[in-house]
Amino acid sequence: MNLSSPFIYNDKTTSRVMLLVCSALIPGILVSFYFFGWGTLINLVLCSIYAVSAEAFIMWLRKKPIMKALSDNSALLTGLLIGLSLPPMLPWWMSFVGVWFAIIIAKQLYGGLGFNPFNPAMVGYVLLLISFPVEMTSWLPSHEIAQQHSSFLETLQITFVGVTNDGNNLMSYRMLADGFTMATPLDESKTAFSRGLMTSEIVENSHFFSNANSWFWINISFLIGGLFLLANRVTHWQIPTAMLLSMTMTASVFYLYDDQLFLSPWLHLTMGATMLGAFFIATDPVTAATTPKGRIFYGVLIGFFIIIIRTFGGYPDAVAFSVLLLNIAVPTIDHYTKPKVYGSQKEANLNG
Amino acid sequence: MSDLANETQIIKTSDIVKHTKYKMPGGIHPEEYKTLSNQSPIRILSKANQLTIALSNSSHLNGELQVKIGEVICKGQTLFASSEESMTNNTHSPCNGKVLSIDKLNTGHPSGLPLAAIRIEQAIKQNSDTEKQRSHQNNQQNESWVNISPQDIINRIHRAGIVGLGGAAFPTHIKLKTSLGKVGTLIVNAMECEPYITCDDKLLQEKSSEILQGALITAKAVGAIKILFGIEDNKPEAINCLKKSISNLIDSNLNNHDNKNYTLPKIEIVIAKTKYPSGGEKQLIQLLTGLEVPQGKYPAELGMLVQNVATLYAINQAINHNENLTQRLVTITGDSVPQPGNYWIQFGTPIFHIIESLKIDCHNISHAVFGGPLMGNAISDFNVPTQKSTNCIIFDSNKKLINNNREASHSACIRCGECEFVCPVSLLPQQLFWFSQSEQWEQLEKQDLFDCIECGACTYVCPSKIPLVGYYRYAKSEIKYLNTKHKKSELAKKRFENRENRLARIKAEREEKRKKTAEARKLAAQNKEQDPDGKKSAIQAALDRVKNKKEEQS
Repeated sequence: MNLSSPFIYNDKTTSRVMLLVCSALIPGILVSFYFFGWGTLINLVLCSIYAVSAEAFIMWLRKKPIMKALSDNSALLTGLLIGLSLPPMLPWWMSFVGVWFAIIIAKQLYGGLGFNPFNPAMVGYVLLLISFPVEMTSWLPSHEIAQQHSSFLETLQITFVGVTNDGNNLMSYRMLADGFTMATPLDESKTAFSRGLMTSEIVENSHFFSNANSWFWINISFLIGGLFLLANRVTHWQIPTAMLLSMTMTASVFYLYDDQLFLSPWLHLTMGATMLGAFFIATDPVTAATTPKGRIFYGVLIGFFIIIIRTFGGYPDAVAFSVLLLNIAVPTIDHYTKPKVYGSQKEANLNG
Repeated sequence: MSDLANETQIIKTSDIVKHTKYKMPGGIHPEEYKTLSNQSPIRILSKANQLTIALSNSSHLNGELQVKIGEVICKGQTLFASSEESMTNNTHSPCNGKVLSIDKLNTGHPSGLPLAAIRIEQAIKQNSDTEKQRSHQNNQQNESWVNISPQDIINRIHRAGIVGLGGAAFPTHIKLKTSLGKVGTLIVNAMECEPYITCDDKLLQEKSSEILQGALITAKAVGAIKILFGIEDNKPEAINCLKKSISNLIDSNLNNHDNKNYTLPKIEIVIAKTKYPSGGEKQLIQLLTGLEVPQGKYPAELGMLVQNVATLYAINQAINHNENLTQRLVTITGDSVPQPGNYWIQFGTPIFHIIESLKIDCHNISHAVFGGPLMGNAISDFNVPTQKSTNCIIFDSNKKLINNNREASHSACIRCGECEFVCPVSLLPQQLFWFSQSEQWEQLEKQDLFDCIECGACTYVCPSKIPLVGYYRYAKSEIKYLNTKHKKSELAKKRFENRENRLARIKAEREEKRKKTAEARKLAAQNKEQDPDGKKSAIQAALDRVKNKKEEQS
């Protein structure tokens, strides 16, 4: 026994927390699988293997106990988060580059779990996004409107060699019934706005509608997973609530200003990586603000920048960018949001 | 008159029990394990053959030993009389018997270092004559405490050797003295928020009127006009017993018109939601009044005095029954104890005696703890005796007192912030952890490390099982050590400077003297040249004298 109090602990451990977060991803994974097919699952399996092997490799290099590092499940979670952010049928080596970069450069080179200032999953994702913008924005359409569906084997073939036995490639599966292709709804609306279309015209497009529908359900399923985490007190309400409210407010300002030039707050909340970001990415404890008040600032600013970058930036989605942006601000936020200590006369301690 | 009395009574009974409207930040809800020990009535533990009475729980003693080795002593006799101002307190013999030795022994100080202690052999046959004599004396001395002056009450408390029995063992008379005249409210701490411990709960259930008397005496001693009993909502029986005692007291006070010069303080029971650490002195004040004790100050600053129920019981026994503090109620609990419960145990009873007489399965014990599982101390040696501060002893076989810290290193901090949500003082425990780890002492002081009450809530919730409180204890002692070292080196520096100055001064003086004598010698040599016999100078000197005299006369 240890000789110093306290002698009791609750049963929450880091590895259990990480495992709970992983399991809370399951509804989102299942719904994504339903809409986008085998590509989602293959990405997840590949990324998990890459992540765990990268962690083991670097632990071996650092001469640290490998099993202890793997047993905290944090590498697995990073792998799953990257896997969920990648478009289905992405070439295998691209996901490899992203995941290894995330684990080795963004996490382990800073000292490993608990020491990394940036969210490793988002660093990996952003690296891929700016290195391979075309591949990274080539999402499959929802299975309802796709011209043809790929089997498990065909998906594997495209992921590993880029072409199936029948000569199909990624483009063939991205084709819609009418021969057009379509990216994610956020991507689609961005292109449409740049072509001078109005919000109402974009939304009325039936392809856009069914594509948006699939993203709506994916977001709902991540929301359910997130609520599960909140109910189990694995995450706290501050960051997700602040982020979602701030997104709603910011988007509402634009939408009220002109409802034909900007997307509605509802679309912002239900498209793209909103819910995944709010409950699984912005809440990464290592890289988020830690003071209760600081978490609210952190969430609000992430939400604000998501809308700004989505609306005016060059990329369709912005969760990764704004999370990374706010990761830099965390020490400052924590510094200025130190809670008032019991019995302290000073309002807030700013010289801490 | 009776109408008025009835009216007040009606108001009072509805007024006695209240739920607090204030909150404290943070806190945890660990499993309580209180039913283990609070289901059976209070019992008396069989007496041990030998008792080891610690004279003080710190290494410096201030007072006089009253007994010699080999002396036959009787129950309640003073063994050690402390001087009134010192932080040590009086100790008394819990039994009739003989002084075996006075030596340095392991008395269970957290450091494990031996401290001055008296070993007594207990006389198993009761010396009934002396007992009777003493009790006779007691009866004679018994007078209503209402007529005793506050200073006398405090003196008697000092003489009876009463200390804070909540666990801190701070001498009660000093606490009362420093609060004298400053305090309007006496807060009675009946929260008992730590898991396992039920001794205050049981004491309230069985001795509530005595505790109430103790509270009235204390209130009178410091001049408090209001008494608040703070208690958690997990003790409904204790609340009921206390409520009955209070309404009885109010009734009897209304019927008793003898004491025109005594006014009963306003008495209330304030119930708070069960949450650890609501029983911390500062947390209790915050829960009951919504006020915060300013940093570095005492509750007296807010006009409040906090006393534990067991202390008040001891005060009642000392003032009303002239009993010195020689035993206390101790919770003996844990899954290795066949008959867990609350026992009156003489101070100085060795742990092995408790193990033997309660038939505790010694081989299965993996944890033996003095006090609660969150702030207690591990028992390293079963020869260690119980002391005034021993409110609970836990013998557990394992499982419940989970300890995942067996590995040499804990897992990494993932900055989850759970610790910040549970800190009752609103510190940033994980920041303190980072700074402790990197030994940034200055930053730690800026982050208010010294406001940490070491309640252990942060460590309890840490998913990485980091022994946070251990880090803070280390940092605190290190900072204290460095501060003393700094002071010492400042002093040494000053001493060195003074010495240098002194040496320089002496050197300069010597130089001056040397110069003077050299000059005198030179002058003398010159004179000798001009005036080899010294005649000239003698004449000159005589002339000067005459001249001086003339000047004086004029």
